Amino acid sequence: MGPPPIVTGLSPNEGAPGTLIKIRGENLGKSPQDLIGLTICGVDCLLAAEWKSENKILAISGPIKGKGDVIVTTQSGGVGSCNVTFKGFHIATIGPMKESAVWVEETEPYSWGRYSLSPSSYQQEDPLGLSVEDTEKKVPEEDLLTYFPNKNGDITSHNFSARWFLLENHQATSFNDLQAGLVHLRRKVQGQKEGQLSFLKANIGAVMDQVDTLVNLKERYEIDLPKVGNEPTLKLEKAIKESEHEARKLFDEVLSRKDRAEKTRNALNVLSRFRFLFCLPCVIDRNVKKGDYDIVINDYIRVKNLFCKTDVPIFKTALNEVEKRITELQIKLHEDLQTMPITVEQQKRLIRYLVNLDAPFDSAWDAIKSRSDYINKKFKLIYNYHKSLDKPDPKTKNGSASKYSKYNKTPNVDITIIPACVNFTDEICISITETFPDLWKVGQAYFSGELQVKVEAGRQVEYKHIVMNVIENFCKFVRASLIPNSLDKGERGQFGSLTLPERDEIALYLPELLHSVRTAYVTLIRLDLPNEALDIVSLLLLDLRIHCMSIMFQQTTEQIKQLTETWKINYNGKFTGVTELPIQFLNLIEGMIQIVKESVLSTELREVGLLENQMAQKEMEKQLNNILTAFHNVLNNLSSSEDYDECENGVVSQLIGTPVSSHKTGSKSNIPIWEHRLLITLSNCLFTKGTVLDMVAEKFQQGGFPSLNTPLNNAKVLLEHLEKSILDKYLEQKSDPLVGTIEPSMYLGRFDWHLTIPPSDIRPYIKECINNLINVHSEIIHISPSLLNAVLPQVVETVAEELFRLMSCVQKFSREGAVQARADISVLQDFLSGYSTEKASNYFQEALDVVPPLDRTDAILVEDILRQCTARMKIQVLCLKRKK
Amino acid sequence: MSKKPTVQPALHKVIMVGSGGVGKSALTLQFMYDEFVEDYEPTKADSYRKKILLDGEEVQIDILDTAGQEDYAAIRDNYFRSGEGFLCIFSITEDESFQATQEFREQILRVKNDDNIPFLLVGNKCDLEEKRKVSFQEAQDRANKWGVPYVETSAKTREHVDKVFYDLMREIRARKKEENKTSNGRGKDKNKKKKLKCCIL
Repeated sequence: MGPPPIVTGLSPNEGAPGTLIKIRGENLGKSPQDLIGLTICGVDCLLAAEWKSENKILAISGPIKGKGDVIVTTQSGGVGSCNVTFKGFHIATIGPMKESAVWVEETEPYSWGRYSLSPSSYQQEDPLGLSVEDTEKKVPEEDLLTYFPNKNGDITSHNFSARWFLLENHQATSFNDLQAGLVHLRRKVQGQKEGQLSFLKANIGAVMDQVDTLVNLKERYEIDLPKVGNEPTLKLEKAIKESEHEARKLFDEVLSRKDRAEKTRNALNVLSRFRFLFCLPCVIDRNVKKGDYDIVINDYIRVKNLFCKTDVPIFKTALNEVEKRITELQIKLHEDLQTMPITVEQQKRLIRYLVNLDAPFDSAWDAIKSRSDYINKKFKLIYNYHKSLDKPDPKTKNGSASKYSKYNKTPNVDITIIPACVNFTDEICISITETFPDLWKVGQAYFSGELQVKVEAGRQVEYKHIVMNVIENFCKFVRASLIPNSLDKGERGQFGSLTLPERDEIALYLPELLHSVRTAYVTLIRLDLPNEALDIVSLLLLDLRIHCMSIMFQQTTEQIKQLTETWKINYNGKFTGVTELPIQFLNLIEGMIQIVKESVLSTELREVGLLENQMAQKEMEKQLNNILTAFHNVLNNLSSSEDYDECENGVVSQLIGTPVSSHKTGSKSNIPIWEHRLLITLSNCLFTKGTVLDMVAEKFQQGGFPSLNTPLNNAKVLLEHLEKSILDKYLEQKSDPLVGTIEPSMYLGRFDWHLTIPPSDIRPYIKECINNLINVHSEIIHISPSLLNAVLPQVVETVAEELFRLMSCVQKFSREGAVQARADISVLQDFLSGYSTEKASNYFQEALDVVPPLDRTDAILVEDILRQCTARMKIQVLCLKRKK
Repeated sequence: MSKKPTVQPALHKVIMVGSGGVGKSALTLQFMYDEFVEDYEPTKADSYRKKILLDGEEVQIDILDTAGQEDYAAIRDNYFRSGEGFLCIFSITEDESFQATQEFREQILRVKNDDNIPFLLVGNKCDLEEKRKVSFQEAQDRANKWGVPYVETSAKTREHVDKVFYDLMREIRARKKEENKTSNGRGKDKNKKKKLKCCIL
């Protein structure tokens, strides 16, 4: 609401009714329509007000008397205020005979004075003395008219019908009341008859006046009689006749003048009409040249109305000339109508012209047909153009790339080459977005009668066919260019065969293309097309989305396949021994989910949720399986590629001083790397299984995908298998040499258990064994401490088993030998206690059992050795202590 | 205005006088609405009123734009009675209008019966210097004789338009303050005396 109006100036500030007043002020309305009220001294003067500007209104004062404010009311500012006053005055009283600029309420021209016998007051009373109620049930007047023709219920009328009156006024009155009313009426009639005298008495004043007037009249008449004679009216009549004659004389002259003027005008009209006819061919030519078809049509209709029934040969010739021009014009317009491109408005206008010219064409229908032909032709044209560009030689395919300039940043695609099918799809989408709405609009206009053309029967079906055909063509072209396998062979031939680019290449464009198709789809939806037509596109979109998703997944699979291991261990974080590989894998999947979610998964207007579709879901599961399998394969390859690289960095064998067989040395120089790799892969496996897959599942869930447990669980199982095989491989790699060295070392230096060498310390093979274990331990710790529990106990177990085997193979123990063996085993058992499983302890126990029992002194000796040894090898013990 | 409950700012009533066609209405409309009206249309009597800031004080100016034509001379007395200050306007391009100011001055003094009534002599149309008929000195001399200021204005270029109105209002305001003082003091006595005189009459 703006500021209220305020009147600050009046010119003039006083005046009689009808004075033109300039009202000045502020905010007196923004437009004539804004001004909704104007009162001058309380009198509404809006009707005579003329809004000039926000500061000025012209008004004409009404019947005002006295001083008062001028109040302006506007829609935008409400009721205003006034600073100045207007003073109205009557110059003279305004009566019925006086002209006035304003409507003045007439005072009653005659008053009844004291002889009030107003007929209206008499009327209002019911003759039966009953209260007149508004009866709800009224007999319709039509019925009354048929019951009592030529009668009515007006009590003062000649044709008064009592029955009508009763039906009209007392339909609901009871019989008793009516009886009472009758009595009342009788009494009143009686009273009137009896009371003529009393009536006279009551109205004595009036009666006396009348008598006086009559007497007066008579006296005057008698006075006048000698002056004017017996027949005063004769003289009057004569005067009237005379004046009538005079008047007629005056008027005749005027009339004859008027007649003459009329005749001249008629003649002029006829002339101009002829001129119009004969000039018309030229005029038509000129106007056609100027494009003023409206004027031509107007002229044509006029000439037809004027001359179509003429028999005059020259007129006919002229008319023929006109007809010839018009026919030419019709043909020209009809051609224009079918010349594409043309806007709907232009077409409509042309159709209107043709209709107005009574053209023999079915112009509206032709317009529709030409439009649909145009669209189809344009599709073909676009196709052909791109087909011509679609050459295997990439150098011819540049140009038209500007639109995809944003892809220039993608490094692995040649920027100048955009696959022909991409350009084609994009262009065809734009084409349908641009052209189809016009076809639809023209069609709608045609069927809604806007074009003022009679719709022929069967056209609805045909039109629908046309529309469907266009949309189907569009869809098939898109399918042929992007997902040819969704078409059968015949159609594939019909709708062309642009070369499909490589998957990686098309993957870049697919989301964009999907967007283009969607845009086209939205345009179609906005047109309110029948569902049948929309469903075709909807199906295409669904297929396209599935395809797109599939391609995305495939691309990711491919990328995963190409993942390489850097072997750089990531030491931070909870998971040790993990390289970037799983994270890369996760990132790839995440990126894919993002793209898929953005482009494919999101459902737009009138689209089915992709994952509600069975086929899509199955396809996705399959593709996810592929991805996971691919990753599994990557890990598998890493763990099995023994000959990965032959890097010979000087990792020194810890089995120093051990005579090792030649083939072992050869492989051993590589083992640390290979073993490390195994360990790393193993920890990656664990990490993937335990964490990354869950994260993947979570990402999918966040991305709005349905639960994908089956493929994930499959992958977990696969990974578990892989883990096991890697572990086995590693153990094999580690424990085989470790265990293998025990026996040769045991019998090193021609040692035998039946020799009587007094034992002073544990034998070196035990130390070697312990050192080897420490070596393995450190290796694992180096890569991934979390693997210790999985690996070390297994190694210990094999060591124990080997020890037991060796012991049980000993044929004879000397007393010293027994002491030595017991000390050896005990030390080993003690040292490895941190990692020994039940099975390992059993083996140790069994090994001990093989050794002959000792007497007391020997037992003390064993304990002595044990204590010494533990003290000496404190560091080693610490190494193998299990951390809590 | 009396029906409004809020305290109204001081109201100064200004009356525009002068011969017909000297530009009384033009000056008024220029002052009120910043508008210059080209076409001439004789005024009967127009009222204008608006709030303005006079030296930081909000006051209301009420302008009565009167008819210059002789036809209306008879009703001037009535108008003049209500005026608190007068702008007596002539056109510097028309000597006759300048001569007429003398008559207006006399009539005002007679009606108001007050030699010190706020009054400005205004020479309008000063943009038409080439058509000047009344010299500045001539007009200034007359103003000096009357003891009033003389200002030359142009309703067309708005030169001095605000000045004449504001100057006059300042005079009216000063005058009213003075009267208040006197009415507080011996003013009452004066009234009483007057009343007494009336009684005797």
